[in-house]
Amino acid sequence: MTGGARLAWICGGLFVILSVVALGSLLVGAAPVPPGTVFDLITGRGPGQGTERTVVFAIRLPRIAAAVLAGAALAVAGAGFQGLTRNPLADPSILGVSGGAAFGVVLGQVSGLGQGIVEGLGLTALGFAGALVAGAAVYLIASTAGGLPVHTLLLAGVIVGIFFSAAITVLISIVDTNRLGGVIHWLLGSVAPIPPGALGVFALATAAGLWLVLGQARALNLLALGDEGALELGVDAQRVKRRIFAGAALLTGTVVAFVGPIGFVGLVVPQALRMLLGPDNRVLVPAALLAGGAFLLAADTLARTVVAPAELSVGVLTSFCGAPVFIWLLRSRAGRTSP
Amino acid sequence: MTALCRSLVLSFCFLPGIAQALTVVDQTGHAVTLPAAPRRIVSLVPGVTEILFAIGAQDALVGVTDFCDYPPEARRKARVGDMLAPNLEILVSLRPDVVVATRSGNREETFDQIKRLGLPVYLVDEPPSIADLLRLVGGLGQLTGRRDAAAAVAAGLERRITAVRQRVAGRPHPRVLYVLWPEPLIVPGRGSLVSELIASAGGESVTADQAQGYPRMSLEAAVGRAPEVIILARHGARTGPAVREQWQRLESLPAIRSGRLYAADGDLLHRYGPRVVDGLELLARLIHPEAFK
Amino acid sequence: MTPLCEFRHVGFAYPVGAHGRPPFEIRDLSFSLVPGEVLGLIGPNAAGKTTVIRLLSRVLDPSRGEIFLAGRQASRLGRAAVARQVAIVPQDVPQGFPYTVEQLVLMGRFPHAPGRFFENREDLEIAREAMAITGVETLAAEPLDRLSGGERQRVVLARALAQRPRLLVLDEPTAHLDLRYQAECVALLRRLHKDDGLGILLVSHDLNLAAEVSDRLLLMAGGAAVSAGTPEDVMQESVLEAVYGCRVVVDKHPATRRPTVNVVWPDGR
Repeated sequence: MTGGARLAWICGGLFVILSVVALGSLLVGAAPVPPGTVFDLITGRGPGQGTERTVVFAIRLPRIAAAVLAGAALAVAGAGFQGLTRNPLADPSILGVSGGAAFGVVLGQVSGLGQGIVEGLGLTALGFAGALVAGAAVYLIASTAGGLPVHTLLLAGVIVGIFFSAAITVLISIVDTNRLGGVIHWLLGSVAPIPPGALGVFALATAAGLWLVLGQARALNLLALGDEGALELGVDAQRVKRRIFAGAALLTGTVVAFVGPIGFVGLVVPQALRMLLGPDNRVLVPAALLAGGAFLLAADTLARTVVAPAELSVGVLTSFCGAPVFIWLLRSRAGRTSP
Repeated sequence: MTALCRSLVLSFCFLPGIAQALTVVDQTGHAVTLPAAPRRIVSLVPGVTEILFAIGAQDALVGVTDFCDYPPEARRKARVGDMLAPNLEILVSLRPDVVVATRSGNREETFDQIKRLGLPVYLVDEPPSIADLLRLVGGLGQLTGRRDAAAAVAAGLERRITAVRQRVAGRPHPRVLYVLWPEPLIVPGRGSLVSELIASAGGESVTADQAQGYPRMSLEAAVGRAPEVIILARHGARTGPAVREQWQRLESLPAIRSGRLYAADGDLLHRYGPRVVDGLELLARLIHPEAFK
Repeated sequence: MTPLCEFRHVGFAYPVGAHGRPPFEIRDLSFSLVPGEVLGLIGPNAAGKTTVIRLLSRVLDPSRGEIFLAGRQASRLGRAAVARQVAIVPQDVPQGFPYTVEQLVLMGRFPHAPGRFFENREDLEIAREAMAITGVETLAAEPLDRLSGGERQRVVLARALAQRPRLLVLDEPTAHLDLRYQAECVALLRRLHKDDGLGILLVSHDLNLAAEVSDRLLLMAGGAAVSAGTPEDVMQESVLEAVYGCRVVVDKHPATRRPTVNVVWPDGR
């Protein structure tokens, strides 16, 4: 079976899974909407207005879209960082990149940016900038002559993350106390229904980041031969790295701008896929897109139903899931070697 | 005759219901237009819930937050969650005509989302003074079509406030330190409701010159003002006996030497509902016990 | 005949202290390699042999002089174009390389269509052929970290062959192989260059292997060429002793009559 055919099968299967999860998520929620009504509404036969229509189309559907986009973006960013650093522990939150993006976004929020289309672009840009700065800082701190040793990389990520957390705290303490609760709530990551204009910006930015990373997927494979080995095969290693880094930072910044920092998705999803599908990035990146979306959507659905009417922050759930995976990876052979 | 009177009274009661579209100005100065007087209100503010009960509008109240626990009947209303992240689905299913929210406690994102869902939002701010609180009562009366009841409630509150002021008039004002939150130390500053309450209760707040609202302050600076009365606000588990012990240890303070370290129910003083006046009376009793013998 | 590669007065210096390396340079290096020829590059450590490989594959660019590949200036060719002509066979893959044999061999097809996302059927054919030549086709689905040193060496050679280069550069091809695999490697190289007119640049510490397999030798030391010519010309006792700093005896191989070098081991006094 050629590579293309295999990819088509895998993506088809994952798309089915994603659709099932999305349908399930549409059916559950704190407001009682009978499944029949949900189906009627989706197929256009439902009531033209009313509570149930509002719940399904104005609350659940946008939230599902946001969760899928966020999960997809985070998983692809994780796959990109892992390919770049040749280490399966690299993930936007662990590398401190999410922290940098969060700082950028909080800066924007404190300056009054909200969720209009233009403001959404502004927040995304600030998130992207913050992500770039954090990523560059980690790289500069951790890189040695021989590459990026894993322990230095993790330490650098932790330090950069702590630094930006502190910076955010400073920002918060300047902001009036009334906003405090809101910012703290956001910092745990909250998927909420986003207005269509902003959702469009989110989708576009995610597509741009995906294009940057996926376009280099084949070359990324060759980077596993080492910088010299890749150069010898005609790969412009520096250019590939720059593009993937920019793409992964854009994806991270975008997610943080719209749903806040959510951790571990970029760790858990690519790792699971790698174990099932192998390390070929040309398959891994598209699969991460779909599987990441399904994963975060499932987590968010759980977060909003398991203690209804209250809600857990989805970041809490992904951390509970991700921390054991991180520990397992760190202890096993996989944590010491290249992805 | 009685039947005629009854039907006349009833028809007058229905008048608000068949009134034209209602436009009110909320407490932040924004105009809120409703197709009719609201019959279903969701309150995301515990203080507002208390006021709605006080002015008799509780029948129109269909949803409250988890924190709306006074009066006890409020607990029987449908819950929409906490103040930071109310459950939008439940809120929408309650089909409210208007949602009352506050800029000091709810997130801006939340009331933006509620507006986007097509629900009118009546915004309030934390009233910085007693006069503003009374205006809030009046505003809610206007919103719910219970202007007269609201006016009566406001008048009653004003009478009690005046009575307290008269009781403590002419007495020397002890230096009072009010501790909203122990760590980090948060105190009432300029233009905050509690500062005005302390003044009305015959005390001199040592933090009245601080920044607007409820700013942080260093413990040293607060202690350096040698308060003669210290009042700790109780908000729940974290502000219990352990906190009292910590403050007891500051033996050099006049307040501790004379044993004038008190705790006060935070709900009374920070919910900006009618019970604020209960809080005022409590403060007065703590600051000038001799005036209430 | 246009040489497959030609160095003309090439000079190169690493930036001082770069990556912790001591300062080093290549001075005025000139040589050429024609199709069907095996050129053995020999010399002690830090003679510049690895730098020559890097210059050839355009990992580094010369600071002086020019390198020509099939008559065209290498600096004017894109990286992929260079990789289509020159294939480097490294000693091994980096630690923890996660891909399978077939996936690695297919990587050799990248320079021929860098823009293509997936390899096509022709690429798969060429890869299988390369694996067959080196005898690793049964290992196609095995991840590399499960193979022995000898098997891995054959796999990296297969990858280089899949590149369909005109010039094959072998960097210490027998470094970790036992005698049997060393012999197999020699046989393979001989078959390749006879059958396909491939040019081979063999970099090796093993002087005897180089003398055995090469048509010509180039002896380098301290970044410059010391001697070039047939194995008999280059393997002179006086020259070798000066370059390597130890006493040697040059003899003739009993079976093949090629020069062999034997070290006169010091007795410790």
